[in-house]
Amino acid sequence: MEVRKFILKRFIEIFIIFFVILTVLFLLFRLAPGDPVTRMVDPTLTPEDSQYLIAQLGLDQPIGLQYLYYIKNFFTGNFGNSFHYGVTVSSIIWSRLPNTIILFTTSILLSAFVGIFLGKIASWQKGTKTDTWMTLGALVCHTLFLPWLAMLMIWIFGFKIGWFPLNGMISPKIWMDPSSGFWLKSLDVLHHMILPLATLFLIHFGSYLLLMRSSMLDTLKEDYILTARAKGLEEKTIRNKHAAPNAALPVVTSVGISLAFSLSGGALTETVFSWPGIGRELVFAVSNSDYPLAQGSFLLIAIVVLMANLVVDVLYAYLDPRIKY
Amino acid sequence: MTVNQSTQTSKISVRPAKRFPTIERLKEGWSVYKENLIGKIGLTLLVIFALMAVCSFFPPLIDPMYHPMTGVDPLITHSTGPSWRHWLGTDFIGRDILCQLLAGTRIAFMVGISAAFMSIFLGTVIGMIAGYAGKIADTLLMRLADMIMVMPTLLVVLILSSLFGQLNIWTIVLLIALFRWPGVSRVIRAQTLSLKERPFIEAAKVTGASHFRIIFRHIMPNVLPLSLLYMTFRVTSAIIIEAALAFLGFGDPSTVSWGMMLQWVWKTGHMFQAPYWLLPPGICISLLTLSFYMMGRAMEEVLDPRLRKEVAQE
Amino acid sequence: MALLTVENLSVGYHTRKGFLKSVQGVSFALAEGESLGLVGESGCGKTTIGMSLMGLLPENAAVTDGRILFEDTDLLKLSKKEIRQVRWKKIAMIFQAAMNALNPVHRVSEQIAEAILAHDTEISEETAMKQVESLFEVVGISPERMRDYPHQYSGGMKQRAIIAMALSCNPSLIIADEPTTALDVIVQDQILNAIKDFQKRLNVSLIFISHDIAVVADVCDSIGIMFAGQLVEYGNVKDVFDVPMHPYTRSLLASYLTLDKDIVQLDSKPGETPDLVNPTPGCRFSERCTVSKAACSLNTPEWVEISPTHKALCNQFK
Ligand SMILES: Nc1ncnc2c1ncn2[C@@H]1O[C@H](COP(=O)(O)OP(=O)(O)OP(=O)(O)O)[C@@H](O)[C@H]1O
Ligand SMILES: [Mg+2]
Repeated sequence: MEVRKFILKRFIEIFIIFFVILTVLFLLFRLAPGDPVTRMVDPTLTPEDSQYLIAQLGLDQPIGLQYLYYIKNFFTGNFGNSFHYGVTVSSIIWSRLPNTIILFTTSILLSAFVGIFLGKIASWQKGTKTDTWMTLGALVCHTLFLPWLAMLMIWIFGFKIGWFPLNGMISPKIWMDPSSGFWLKSLDVLHHMILPLATLFLIHFGSYLLLMRSSMLDTLKEDYILTARAKGLEEKTIRNKHAAPNAALPVVTSVGISLAFSLSGGALTETVFSWPGIGRELVFAVSNSDYPLAQGSFLLIAIVVLMANLVVDVLYAYLDPRIKY
Repeated sequence: MTVNQSTQTSKISVRPAKRFPTIERLKEGWSVYKENLIGKIGLTLLVIFALMAVCSFFPPLIDPMYHPMTGVDPLITHSTGPSWRHWLGTDFIGRDILCQLLAGTRIAFMVGISAAFMSIFLGTVIGMIAGYAGKIADTLLMRLADMIMVMPTLLVVLILSSLFGQLNIWTIVLLIALFRWPGVSRVIRAQTLSLKERPFIEAAKVTGASHFRIIFRHIMPNVLPLSLLYMTFRVTSAIIIEAALAFLGFGDPSTVSWGMMLQWVWKTGHMFQAPYWLLPPGICISLLTLSFYMMGRAMEEVLDPRLRKEVAQE
Repeated sequence: MALLTVENLSVGYHTRKGFLKSVQGVSFALAEGESLGLVGESGCGKTTIGMSLMGLLPENAAVTDGRILFEDTDLLKLSKKEIRQVRWKKIAMIFQAAMNALNPVHRVSEQIAEAILAHDTEISEETAMKQVESLFEVVGISPERMRDYPHQYSGGMKQRAIIAMALSCNPSLIIADEPTTALDVIVQDQILNAIKDFQKRLNVSLIFISHDIAVVADVCDSIGIMFAGQLVEYGNVKDVFDVPMHPYTRSLLASYLTLDKDIVQLDSKPGETPDLVNPTPGCRFSERCTVSKAACSLNTPEWVEISPTHKALCNQFK
């Protein structure tokens, strides 16, 4: 199969999946007990304002038309107004999205790279002490309960030792000060990001390590590894050039599958660290019955998962010549 | 994830079930399992937790103040550290933390095992049907699986709880089960596909066995060990999801779970003052999930080292 | 002078059931340019011998006895680094499962050039590629297909590419382990001709492993018949085919020579491979042998020399 065809196919599939999610969410919002109008329109608004909003969202129309309004509104980025913030949901989401993406992307990349690297080493030393400890360590890290680990991190490194801020993403003092430049601001964000990043990293690198390790062990049984040995290649070459690229393929696949899991973890992390991302916004909206915000942030999270899946597919297609040619 | 599915599954070896498949396999499996360090650690941990769950029934009998939910020490009005009277200390209104921890063990087992059981049941049946029926049924079921698989379960349940109000513990269990079957069904489907080509299935068809009979009499015994393996991983994810929900404040308010305890520490601002309260529930969640995870990995090696790939993602 | 002398080689595997003695007391010699066929049923230890020569036995294997003299050095005594330099440069191997012997993520040409470059640090990459190109011509693949990935090749092409790879470092010995098993008859024939052709032309020594005695007769100068880890008859192809001595050889030849199915199982009853964990002290073939006497299963069989170029391991001829 050609890469372009493969990616196009995946793109269409992902688009269909998204459409189904969109529809299911629509139905859920109408089927749930209670009045859909009060769910989407802030009850504290003035009658004129709420009339306007009802018309805009199509809530006074029959259900079929409502659906069309819903789809149209989605594609024009109109998710209604947040009850709590009183501004449009899309404006909130857009301001939160970059924060989530920064945290999510760095944590996935970092844990995947480190995990794959360490997994390679562990598999190569199978049965030795190094391997046993790495495997055990990975298992333990992977099963740590994320919010608890987050709290421990804050307690130890934020509160006890005081190396890092307790929560948030920026220090107002630095950002309010007109004299602080771009680098200082970035450094400040980085300073805030280290603890949440470390938390996500600890939780995730273990699963990549374990996956890479077992994938490597399987690959090492393949005949082409025997060929490589027979050719008189050095062990290092065999490991890095012949075994690792093949072993990494299933790991890449699993990165795709575990993205959803990572996003749940992301939401928990954002919540505990008060990191102003979409996940935290979703949790907040749900806790405060801010339905429009909940709906909007959920849809956006769904988009993020699906897009990330697409990225992984593209990566896979480029790594595996069986797709490329 | 669509690509190497076929190459991966073709390597899975399946033996046709013998006359006493379960007993024979269990014996054989146990002898391999016994030698696995990780498996032994996992099992030991599990036994400890099972004992804790059993112990949870006793403290309320000793004194009503040891009731995990409603028992309040009349002498205490704030969180206190470990003492002779309260081995792990008390929470912010004077409830005994140890008793809550023990009660939480029971809930964790209940949630984990029942949710895992249901999702495995669903996944196995759907996987067998998809694999056996093929064609449209297969395509539809697997697309559905793909769709559910890319959704973050925790967040979906959050949305549902915002729409349908407070969820009780059984609804949570059910929701977890409903969103956690796709991974299992994909593996079972692959297994069924390879079984379908086996002579003994052909033979059964020739003798005129019904589809129902072939699926449940001939295919199921062969995929069950695999389902069992997945069950351990599902227990892990169910416990984590329930704990996370409770931590975020969407748990069942009538039960005491470890996640709930962590929420109390967090929400009442005791995170920095009360390590005796912060540490135990987190350690328990982590260790219990670890124990199931370890057992799962050990079982994997018993079943077939080739099966490893898809498992470690939960 | 012999290029390769294997003396009394014994190899076993540690398994759950015990130590499996899959090769026992095997000796043979191979002159430069000579080809030897090893024949025997599945599990008799052919691949194990090949792997011992390459020093590629798996971790659970152990060589318990014997010497492998190659150009007067004992391969079993070499360090890891030294044996690596022997591999491919001196001894190359075409593996049994050749279909999967090429790495799916690298181009075929790169994989062959890699072998050349690994053993010759002087050579430039372009020269190596040039050599690969001429190798492709030798084995009969169009050089246009050089830059393809393995999955784009047919089974026969893969097998040819592997032969090209085996030839790439001009080894003095090539071990071909059932190189044609997975192929259809016509392609099998082509591959066999290719092997015969390069063997004569390049004057390289060949150990040809097969379970098909007819193929060996076609390709090899001498032949070793193996049963349950032992060599049971060894000699010149012509001698062995004219006067097969061991009952097992006779049964193999009968099934090859006769088209009449009734007399196929002449000297042998069908049966399983004997237990290799606790082998009998007597003749391992005795249970399946139709001419065996009671003593056969008790007394260790001994080599009988029929002619200087032909011997058999059987007590019947004493
Ligand atoms: N890695 C291993 N571990 C344990 N036993 C092994 C291993 N490899 C081979 N054996 C055993 O050693 C014996 C000889 O195996 P070998 O592969 O040499 O046979 P073969 O003659 O090449 O058979 P075939 O024609 O099927 O390739 C067999 O009984 C086999 O079961
Ligand atoms: Mg073999």
